[in-house]
Amino acid sequence: MKIERLLFPTKFGELDLNSLESLFMLKDAGLKEVILYYVIPREEVGFVPYGGYLKEEEERIREEVRIRFEDWQKSLSAKEINSRIIIEVGEPVPNILNIAEKEKVNLIVIGKKKKVAHDGRFVGSNALQIITRSPVPTLVSKYLVQFECDGEVVTRTNDDIFKRPLLAADWSVPSERALELLISLKGLIEKAFVCHAIDVKISKSIDKTELHRIEKESKERLEKYCERLKSAGITAEPHLGAGRTMMEIIRISRDVKASTIIMGTTGKDRLHDFFLGSVSHRVSGMSELPTLLVP
Amino acid sequence: MRNILKFILIFLSLSAYPAFAGEEVPNIGETLPLYSVIPFVGMLLSIALFPLLAPKFWHHHFGKVSAFWAIITIIPLLIGYKGIAVDETLHVVIGDYLPFIILLGSLYTVSGGILLRGTLRGTPLVNTIMIALGTFLASWMGTTGASMLLIRPFLRANADRKNRAFMVVFFIFLVSNIGGALTPLGDPPLFLGFLRKVPFFWTFRLIPHMIVASVIILAIYFLLDTYFYKKEEIKISPDNNTKEPLRLDGTVNFIFLTGIIFAVLLSGIVDWGEISIFAVHRSVQDVVRDGLLILMAALSIIFTKRKVREDNAFTWSPIEEVAILFIGIFLTMLPCLKMLQAGPKGELAFIINTVREPAHYFWITGALSSFLDNAPTYLTFLNTALGAFYPGVAETEAVQMLIKEHPDYLKAISAGAVFYGAVTYIGNAPNFMVRSIAEEAGTEMPSFFGYMIKYSLPVLMPVFIIITLIFFR
Repeated sequence: MKIERLLFPTKFGELDLNSLESLFMLKDAGLKEVILYYVIPREEVGFVPYGGYLKEEEERIREEVRIRFEDWQKSLSAKEINSRIIIEVGEPVPNILNIAEKEKVNLIVIGKKKKVAHDGRFVGSNALQIITRSPVPTLVSKYLVQFECDGEVVTRTNDDIFKRPLLAADWSVPSERALELLISLKGLIEKAFVCHAIDVKISKSIDKTELHRIEKESKERLEKYCERLKSAGITAEPHLGAGRTMMEIIRISRDVKASTIIMGTTGKDRLHDFFLGSVSHRVSGMSELPTLLVP
Repeated sequence: MRNILKFILIFLSLSAYPAFAGEEVPNIGETLPLYSVIPFVGMLLSIALFPLLAPKFWHHHFGKVSAFWAIITIIPLLIGYKGIAVDETLHVVIGDYLPFIILLGSLYTVSGGILLRGTLRGTPLVNTIMIALGTFLASWMGTTGASMLLIRPFLRANADRKNRAFMVVFFIFLVSNIGGALTPLGDPPLFLGFLRKVPFFWTFRLIPHMIVASVIILAIYFLLDTYFYKKEEIKISPDNNTKEPLRLDGTVNFIFLTGIIFAVLLSGIVDWGEISIFAVHRSVQDVVRDGLLILMAALSIIFTKRKVREDNAFTWSPIEEVAILFIGIFLTMLPCLKMLQAGPKGELAFIINTVREPAHYFWITGALSSFLDNAPTYLTFLNTALGAFYPGVAETEAVQMLIKEHPDYLKAISAGAVFYGAVTYIGNAPNFMVRSIAEEAGTEMPSFFGYMIKYSLPVLMPVFIIITLIFFR
């Protein structure tokens, strides 16, 4: 698993270019092409009541977007990264998922680049839909985040995403794939962390002996993951947590000063996701760090 | 904003509606001044002119325009007629607007969950069959529903054709308009008639009118398409070489569509008494119908795969826009309808005196439906006929008498309102949706006047003359 082609959908929000530039380092890990993608929302140009379609408006938006993207392409060219511009009319979520499939990209980068988490969530509804449904790895980039911590407003810039990644593993197949993706980023990593949390639901429902067995097994698995990272030339450190999985992952990420959280994620159906959610999606929403979710 | 407020104040002071504090007013329509129709005219002209002259402004501010006309209708009425105006306004909102928008919304939601996939090649025969199928479906899933179901497959089938504009225009003629003539589900005007107790199957009496119109128009279409098909010497693009078999996705929605038909039929058959909602008397069966329609839409949302709606490019915005515009239309037309209901005693007696024969009703309802929305136009002329024949008689009773004693008048009004919606882009709501989708897909559609001069006048006018000669002479 290697990131060679990246899809960068944008609405030209604040700091989007900075966020894109922070991904240029992926060139050292094999990035060859960036697809700059803009969706003109259909409601902006279509279905004018009793009118029709605002063709001229669509063309004007296309031209504006093209000019902005061409300016961005200069930065990409300077780093010798190929790029293409795609502008379409449609609905953001399905269009992004369709174009990712059509262009066979290895990574989608989504999310507002400047995010103020008034409600304690760092992921909007569109981004949440994409991470829930995407069949390719998705990076929820949070270039600049503002959030409250211990009663104080903290501002954080996530500009060196892959320096200290934390892989939160649950030993699933997607977790394996996340590990492989992490290994493919080895040139960019200063130190990696691998964590696993024994969920409170498990520790509550079993006796002490069984808990110790799970603890031992988890530690062994963590060591195996770290060994694989070390054999790929990446310094790695294991961490075992216990409690509410999501909170534990966020706690460990803060303790080790991680720069990003990488997790495997399984697709959930609509009802399951609505009522229960998934740990990876909730971590993505609650953590101030960029999250890379690997299906 | 300040200017708008100033205008409202001036209008209020000018309006000087008669005050009836403490007095009993027998019929609001007999005392309303003629200029109380200004907001209705303003509303309809806004719908007609803004999309042409200032489409961008209209796209972003149509809700404010609609609210403006509604406010300057209702505030003077409330000042002049107090409690009576409150009753009438609530009746319009609860008794007319809500059922209307619930039906449109449920049909839109359910039909938007059905997707026709697969490869079709747009030969003249295939295209004619598709339009004929849409014409048939329109009466059962609404002109909007049938248009949304078929327009994208129709455009995909003809992606290799050079001249596509005429195809879309004929699609608008039949699927988006004329096809909806047979049931109250087909076209909004007929549902408004149904709400006024025109029986569900009564509109089947328009079958001969619809068949004559459809057969002539389909024949013209087939000849035109054959001519262009031969002239174009179609070469299939490599993308279209792979044939995907035809299939329908979201077929569960046919169950919900049946549920909608059942709910509407039920409300026309049973009599479960009345209840009062905010002092507006509504039949229990009508309230149950509206509840069932909402349920069908909700079930459609739950049981239709998200991917089906996405591939259908389903969005809520068209129905939101219709909902916003129609609250304005329903409120502004209130004075106009009341005056017409008052018959010779109302200020619009001159209209009632001018329109006398079924042919007059067919052509005048039609001509106005071409440029104004056909739903309010239908109601206006239904009330004109009621005012002419049964002045002062309660509306529901008068409708039954009209059906029994002068059915040709109602046929003329119904056919006029439905058929003439095809004459312009603004005649019926699906017209603009189809145009929008076709233009987005790269079809160069004719301008507003181009549509009329090149297509609707030369094709539809002779058809309407033939219908007049056969049925309304």
